[in-house]
Parts: sequence; C-alpha cells; structure tokens
Amino acid sequence: MSRTLVGRVTATIATAMAATMAVACGGGGDAGDGKIKLSIGIFSDFGYDNLIKEYQAQHPNIEIEQRKVKMEQHHTQLATQLAGGRGAADIVAIEEGNVALFRQSKDKFVNLADYGAKDLKSQWAAWKWNQGTTDDGNFVLGLGTDMGSLALCYRRDLFQAAGLPTERDAVSKLWPTWNDFLATADKFTAATPNVKFVDAAQNVYKAILDQTEEGYFAKADDSFIADKNPKVADAFKLAASLGEKKQTGALAPFSQDWNVALKQASFATTTCPAWALALIKAGAGDEAAGKWDVAAAPGGGGNWGGSFLAVPKQGKHPKEAYELAKWLTAPEQQKRIFKETGNLPSEPAAYKDPEVTAAVNEYFNKAPVGQIFGNSAENLKPTYRGTKDAKVTPVFNNALSRVETGKQSTVDAFEQAVREARDAAK
Amino acid sequence: MTVAPARSGTESGRSVPPPRVDPPSWRHRLGRWDTRYTPYLAIAPFFVVFGIFGLYPLLYTAWVSLHDWQLVDGAQGFVGLENFRELFTDPHFWNALGNTVSLFVLSTVPQLLAALALAALLDRGLRGRAFWRAGVLLPNVISVAAVALVFAQLFGRDFGIVNGVLGVFGIDPVDWRAETWASHLAISSMVMWRWTGYNALIYLAAMQSVPKDMYESAMLDGASRWRVFWSITVPSIRPTILFTVIVSTIGGMQLFVEPQLFDPGGTATGTGGADRQFQTLVMYLYEKGFRLFDAGYSSAIAWVLFMLILLVALLNFTLTRRIASKG
Repeated sequence: MSRTLVGRVTATIATAMAATMAVACGGGGDAGDGKIKLSIGIFSDFGYDNLIKEYQAQHPNIEIEQRKVKMEQHHTQLATQLAGGRGAADIVAIEEGNVALFRQSKDKFVNLADYGAKDLKSQWAAWKWNQGTTDDGNFVLGLGTDMGSLALCYRRDLFQAAGLPTERDAVSKLWPTWNDFLATADKFTAATPNVKFVDAAQNVYKAILDQTEEGYFAKADDSFIADKNPKVADAFKLAASLGEKKQTGALAPFSQDWNVALKQASFATTTCPAWALALIKAGAGDEAAGKWDVAAAPGGGGNWGGSFLAVPKQGKHPKEAYELAKWLTAPEQQKRIFKETGNLPSEPAAYKDPEVTAAVNEYFNKAPVGQIFGNSAENLKPTYRGTKDAKVTPVFNNALSRVETGKQSTVDAFEQAVREARDAAK
Repeated sequence: MTVAPARSGTESGRSVPPPRVDPPSWRHRLGRWDTRYTPYLAIAPFFVVFGIFGLYPLLYTAWVSLHDWQLVDGAQGFVGLENFRELFTDPHFWNALGNTVSLFVLSTVPQLLAALALAALLDRGLRGRAFWRAGVLLPNVISVAAVALVFAQLFGRDFGIVNGVLGVFGIDPVDWRAETWASHLAISSMVMWRWTGYNALIYLAAMQSVPKDMYESAMLDGASRWRVFWSITVPSIRPTILFTVIVSTIGGMQLFVEPQLFDPGGTATGTGGADRQFQTLVMYLYEKGFRLFDAGYSSAIAWVLFMLILLVALLNFTLTRRIASKG
C-alpha cells in the first residue's frame, strides 16, 4: 500500500522525470570518447537551441544536453534532486520568484565567485546582479538570463468597441496610476458589459505589488510583514475591487482556460512582461494578429520574472559548467536570444543596443517592444523577494480568486490570506 | 494422497519397522529441505522487492515524520510526535479528509453499481461480444493526465460543453471549479469514467463462473430476471464484490491526479480550488512536501493516510464478511 502511495505522490514529478531519468543517471559523467558531457536544465523556451550548437562547434571536447521541463515542475524537481544529491543538471535555471528559496540552500550550489564571476558584475543591471547573489554579494548563486520588465497588453478592437482610444500612446495616457486603470475599467464595462476588462485580479495585484520596494517580507531582516505592510493591503483591495465588480475573467493566468478565453477574445487587457508576449501570441492565434498591442503599465513599470543560471555542487564539471553559463548569459548571446524569442536581455550592453531598441513585434501591431521594455528596464527598482515569497504568493492569489468568484468579501478574503500566509511562512 | 512426495520416507506407512535404521542419507536430507524451503525461496523475490520498495520507504517515512525535515536541507532536528500533534489541529487536514471521503463515496458507490449493471448486460449473449468487452476497458488504458485535461475542458466555466448542454435546458452555467459540490461531482465523474469498465470486467469474469443450472432452475420456478440477478448472481459473486470494494477504497483514499489536474493551478500552485474545496489528502501531502518543502509534516500526513486506509480496509473486510456469512 505504501508503495503505491509513495508512487502516487511522486507521480506528477515522476512523469516529468521519466524522460530525463535515464540521462540523469549517466549524465555528468564523461562519454567514452573523452568528451565532457554537460547538461542544462531549463523550463519553457530560453532560446538556447542554436547557441548550444555553436558552443559545441567551438568546443569540440564538450557535449551539451538540454533538458526542458514545464516551469511548474522544474523547481520542484530541482528541489528533490538537490535533496537526493543526484540527478540535477550541471547548469540549472532558477526563476526570479524562486531564487530566494534556493538562495537559502546555497550550500548545494557552487559559489560562482570561486571561478571569477565577480569580474562580470558590471555586465548586468545592478538589481539583476544582486538578485543572483547572497552574503553581501560574496556568494554568486546564479548569472542573470532575461528579465521581465512590465507593460500592459490590450486588444485594440475591444477598446474601439468600448469607445476608448486605440493608439498605444493614447492608451498609456489613460492610466498613469492604478486608480486611473480602475476608472478606465469602469468606462469599459459601462460600454461593453459582456467583455471582461482584465484577465485575472491576481495579475493586477502582482503588477502593483511588484512596484513597491517591499512586499510580504522586510528587506532588512526577511521577517514577515504582509500583515502590517499597507502596500500589500492596498494592492489587494485595488485588485479585488475589479473582481468584486466582475470586471475580471477570474482566470488562472496561463492556464488552459486562460488560453481559451484569449482565443475567444473575452478579456481586453492583461499585464505583460516581455516573456508573456509569446504566450499571448500562442494563445490568441494567428487570427488575432495585429489586434493586440503593448502600452505602458500603470504606476510605471516593474519586473516580473526573468531567470538565473546556477551550477549545483553535485555536478562533476563545475568549471566547464560555469564557462558555458557565462557564455550563454553574455550580452552578445542575450541579444541573439531576444531576436529569436523576445526574451528581454538583462544587461545594458544588450538592451541598449540599437539592434534591440529598434526591434518591433509584428504580431502586436508592430509595437516597438525593444524600446518599451528596454526603457523601463533602466530605472527599475525590483521589489524585495523574501525567502518564503514563493510559498506565500499562492495564498493571496487564492484569496483574490475567492473574491472574483463571489465566495468571499474582500475584507474576509484578505484576513484569511494573511492568516494562512503567516502559517506558510513559519 | 496429494502430498505423496512430502513425507521423508515411504516406509512410514509400513506396519513392520525396518530392521535397520540408516542415518538419513545426504540425498534424503537434501530432498527434505527442498520440499520444505523451496516454496519460501520461490516467493522470496516478492518480499525482497517489497522490502526495498515498500517496507523501507514506509519506515523511512515514519522516521522523517518524527523530525523537522526540510525537503532540500534535510533533517533540522528530532521533534517526536510534534508533526502529528500539529496535524490533528490543522483545519486544512480535516478539510482534505472530508473532501477525500466525499469524493470517495460520490465516485465509488455509483461506480460499482454501474459496473454491476454493465457486467450483467455483457453477461447476456450480445452480438460482437469481444468488441463490447474490450470497449468498456478503453477508458482505463487512457492516461489519467489526458482524461483530466479533457474533463477540465468539458467542465469549463465559460466555454465548456457541459455548461453548454445545461444552457439548452435553460439551466444557468455552473462554475464547476469554484463550487464545492459541483467540483466533487465533476471529479467523481472522471473517476467513474476511468474505473467503471474495469470493475465491470472483473464482475463479468465472476458472473461467468456462476453455475448455469442455478439460473435454469430459478427460471423454471418462474423467477423474474431482476429476481434472479439479486438472488443468484449477486450473492454468488460476493467475494468479487468484496475485492472491488477494498481496491476502490484504497484507490479512493489516494485520489490525487484527477483533482490536482482539475485545478487550473496544476501541480505548481494548485490547492484544490481557491478555498481548497476539492483538495484531497494526497494533494495536501503534495502541497506540504513538494511545494512548501516541509517533508516532515508531509510524511506525517502519509502515515496518517496509511493508517486510515488500513482501518477502512479492515472495516470493509469485517462488514462484507458479515454480510457474506449471513447470505
């Protein structure tokens, strides 16, 4: 019985791991032909396919294997691999929302400073570099890949139907602040009551919260402050008010339903970090080409997502792994990734490059995405992520969902969320 | 007579003792050991495998449950029964237990009744018998993840087919994930879809071993089909019913993939709905262990779940035994 029980529990991870298991066991070792085998564990699309081929051509003694897993499984799988002491790739990607959690277990990772990573510091936007380090910058956990500076995507045809402006500059002017965003929502709903103004309250909530310096945890000592930080309560109330007025689609972002709603054009706006453009395009499909556009986010930018490449200690070739990670995150490569996938570089040398700033996205009505995202990257002040941020966040998202579906009032939902968050942060 | 080779010597049956008793020869002893120990050797592989993959994890889980154990960083100190104490005062645990029982009852009872009916139909001379029999097993061979994805679509709130059909009859769309009862119904339907055919085939196999003359005599006595079914068929396959009830109980208590994938958050953030309205025990275990990395607490849940299943299985066993003996 217990065998099936344990089996069931790990079933979901096991499915994902099954494919990589065989290689995982043999991985890290050297091939018979004297080549050094490196593996790199990532999620969704990092745009590494061509780069890896090129690196192998330049380094004939190195063989690289890419392991792609869905993002939702990636970090759990990494955690179990670190715990078990085997199975992790030589280089692993860690997403910004999870990096604080793994920073806590830094003894499972190689300190990249030992291989000279500190010399690279000036490549990155300062805040991005800092997110990947700990111990006052003495321990370098990961090298930054992309970043997710924030914009707001909207559907031109739905805005037109509601009698709102459709040009991106005019739309950006509609909402300098989040309260203006709410006012626009009211106008929109009054004109076209059957279309939802925004996909999910939790996206709005995250965008607002990401514009503050501190969220759930204090920057000074990582203590839990969600109960007394007025910024958390304000962001929650603001986002929840959209839900109360049924102006949200009450969707789980990037879920199956979200994709269907996108296809059916049942919501008009969504918060969009640079990497989300590809998801919107995939969900809305070719028939919506030119209908979506990119405007500035209310409240002035923010960062959502972006990742780091770290090297787990259990790997056999930390030096070679570091060299590869260093190469993959260098400005020249980041620029090429941007051109291929649209993932925004996190290094000034790349995002200020004319090739990047001049880039437009055809699908999004030729929006000058290089400029929009690059500009907001410069002055970005990322919010502090506590060690337990990833554990607390879903609690608040659930609370917003309860408000959206009319099961709870904003006040009750927030009260319950704070209580549960305190437990989760214990 | 059937144990002929078992005795050490054929002499034992003789009335006159042999004139000389030789010490048992090598061959002799070897033969005796062979018959005595070979069966154990033959079943040993099972126990070795069970020991490694069953017993060892079971005991290790117990050990982990007595610690403050973080998934990545390992043991942080011995805490005794603290995890269990906390568990029994944890409202989320009781909520998950309630959901598990509700989902189990909602899916198992109709499922087994439907399987019985299906088996009775298949037991009659149908045309294309093999086709129908293979057909009922089809839902079971499809991967759970695929089934869950399809059902999640069917029960979609805005564009799902189920709501579309309800709309034809003038019924307001149901938010299948947000409402407790609706979500339980949807998930149960998934479980039923997967397992009804499987159980029907097991019943069918049992039904075919019921002696046909019993049916004939009943028919001669003028019993209706309905009467024959309840008075002859069902009592005759009672042990099989007992078996399916126990297996379904164990499966039902461990329900995980269907509800987890029914949650739009999936395995990443899914807590069985925003209000944990369909979070089962194993989902809670997964959340604690693999999302919040609290392996100690998670192991405590695993052990409680194990004891619960044991308890329910025993209860099932005695109850069904009693019913069987009454019959």
